[in-house]
Amino acid sequence: MVQFLVKRFIGLLFVVIGVTLITFIMGFYAPGDPIKALLGQHFNPVIYAQLRHTYGLDLPGYQQYWNYLTHLFRFDFGLSYKFQNRPVWDILKDGVPVSTELGFWALLIQVSIGVPLGIISALKANTWVDTTNMAIVLVIYAIPVFVLAVLVQVFIVWIDKQTGGSWPVSQWGNPWQYTWSDITFKLAPILVYAAAGLAYLTRLARTSMLEVLRQDYVRTARAKGMQERVVIYRHALRNALIPLVTVIGLTLGILVTGAFFIEQIFNIPGIAGITLTSITDRDYPVIQATTILLAVAVVFGNLVSDILYTVVDPRIKAE
Amino acid sequence: MDTKDQRTDMSSPGAMFPDNQTLPPDPELSLETGIGGVPPQVALSQKSTTPFQDSLRRLRRDKRAMISIGVIIFFILLSILGPLIYPHIGGTYQSDLNGVVPATQYHSFYHQELSRQDEGPSGQYWLGTDSLGRDILARLMQGMLISITLAVMVEVIDIGVGVFVGVLAGYFGGWIDQFLARFTDIMFAFPGLLFVILLTGIFGTSADDYLSKVPIIGPNGNARLLLVSLALAFTAWPLMARYVRGQTLQVKESQFVEAAKTSGTNSARIIWKHIIPNLFSIVVVASTLNIANTIVGEAGISLLGLGVQQPGSSIGLMISDGSGVIDSHPWEVLVPSIVLALIVLAFSFLGDGLRDAFDPRSKD
Repeated sequence: MVQFLVKRFIGLLFVVIGVTLITFIMGFYAPGDPIKALLGQHFNPVIYAQLRHTYGLDLPGYQQYWNYLTHLFRFDFGLSYKFQNRPVWDILKDGVPVSTELGFWALLIQVSIGVPLGIISALKANTWVDTTNMAIVLVIYAIPVFVLAVLVQVFIVWIDKQTGGSWPVSQWGNPWQYTWSDITFKLAPILVYAAAGLAYLTRLARTSMLEVLRQDYVRTARAKGMQERVVIYRHALRNALIPLVTVIGLTLGILVTGAFFIEQIFNIPGIAGITLTSITDRDYPVIQATTILLAVAVVFGNLVSDILYTVVDPRIKAE
Repeated sequence: MDTKDQRTDMSSPGAMFPDNQTLPPDPELSLETGIGGVPPQVALSQKSTTPFQDSLRRLRRDKRAMISIGVIIFFILLSILGPLIYPHIGGTYQSDLNGVVPATQYHSFYHQELSRQDEGPSGQYWLGTDSLGRDILARLMQGMLISITLAVMVEVIDIGVGVFVGVLAGYFGGWIDQFLARFTDIMFAFPGLLFVILLTGIFGTSADDYLSKVPIIGPNGNARLLLVSLALAFTAWPLMARYVRGQTLQVKESQFVEAAKTSGTNSARIIWKHIIPNLFSIVVVASTLNIANTIVGEAGISLLGLGVQQPGSSIGLMISDGSGVIDSHPWEVLVPSIVLALIVLAFSFLGDGLRDAFDPRSKD
């Protein structure tokens, strides 16, 4: 088991280094001279040279990359191009609690609704419960998250008009605080955000449960005259959950790209929203930092699911 | 067990679109089911069918897939023929700002008629106007044309690179197989759209500067599309290559390839004559499913402001424009959203149908 984990860990470390290399190369070959743009009208060769030195741009490429990499370990993503001397982390740090809050609730809802929904579908396979369930889930799965977000917004605005209410469709309350007004801000984006991954998990849970219900040991358990409840919860369900653990990393991937759309459409000041603003300002270090942060989040999710996998599936230990 | 599952999967769309039942029975469809119902002995005496014909028949019986094909053909025709016909419909219009405006002008996707903002559907503007007084139908058709063009560009690269690398990896193995395995591992761990956002975010503005002079795709704010399509193809091909590799490994072991080898056929000819033709179904299924991803990807990137630029049009850009007036004119955001949802649903249903038809044993 330890060998398996070490192997996976090395593989994922490789991915992270690959990501930093790609983002670095893109920033390195990014069009335009950032320092010239920073100085604008106040161009002065002496200050220009000084700034290039501050930003480390006067070093050869490989040395720049090495510095970039070593600074990353200290959570130092370099300096902003737009705001002189302001670290990138300083720009992003207000968005981090917002984005993690959004992601946390979405993931929680996905798992706690999606998985039971899929299991119920499998237990009631081929009845109207299953068919309607899977039809709804299929449509939610296929429709892009931003279309879903827009449709929900239109719906809320329509309800507001009918009832004279004022349920908000943009902005975010105070991060990690749950007064009623905070909840009104957060509910819609979190639910939409959760929907995409939820559909994926439901489909997978159904397939997995159906697969397990077909196994010989389930038939044996039933043949022994065991209570149906025990067969389902002790024999089938526990085994059906194993493959679900491995897709946590994958759903994190869906969440990460979804963040850009949700934060853009609902106007939420998370890291993806901040990044999109910096793209218009050509503040490349911010984009690089966000890419690396999100990629690391996904890789970390993959690692967690690998660890969980070895915990829940004893067969891995035997290998 | 499998066949039972298959049948239940097929029956689900009926429950989803109850309207299907009310449609008049398609004569061709019932004819096909008639042939399918004939006992095998009789069928054999008439004419034997190839596996490919069997698959086509299975596809033709899949109502959901057939409706999807209809929807896709409708949208393709609309986006290609629409811009040729629509500008010649509707008379001239006396504008306070622009004088006499002919239909060819106000039915173009970029013409702004500032005295006629946010109008509902009318005889002159079939789907109304947006908040800059531009014709929504004209912009929608241009947006769909962009989606389709991009899908074709991405699929050409996706199939070209994916099949090339996949066949080499499957047939010869060795370092190219190793490379593919490692590379796909990275690409699967790294969310593809994030890469596209990074690439277009950094190189977008210079693409505007340099590529806007390229004929056909350059002008009208479409310069970044080349970048977007390259980025989307780059994230898509590893999956295609992995599918192709798996299929190649299977075909390689088959007896006809062994026979070809024994009779001294060289590798290039075996790949060209025996392997490639057998990849047809898997490539068709994988690329149909990928088209849905590509269209969503382009719309999403344009929605974030990183794809098509004003005054150009894209479905994503229309959603982003419309979401500004969501309180007063929800229509403007609903039209592109629903059209995009329909297109994407059609491609994913068709992809699922193709997979079921070409590989009946496939499980989801």
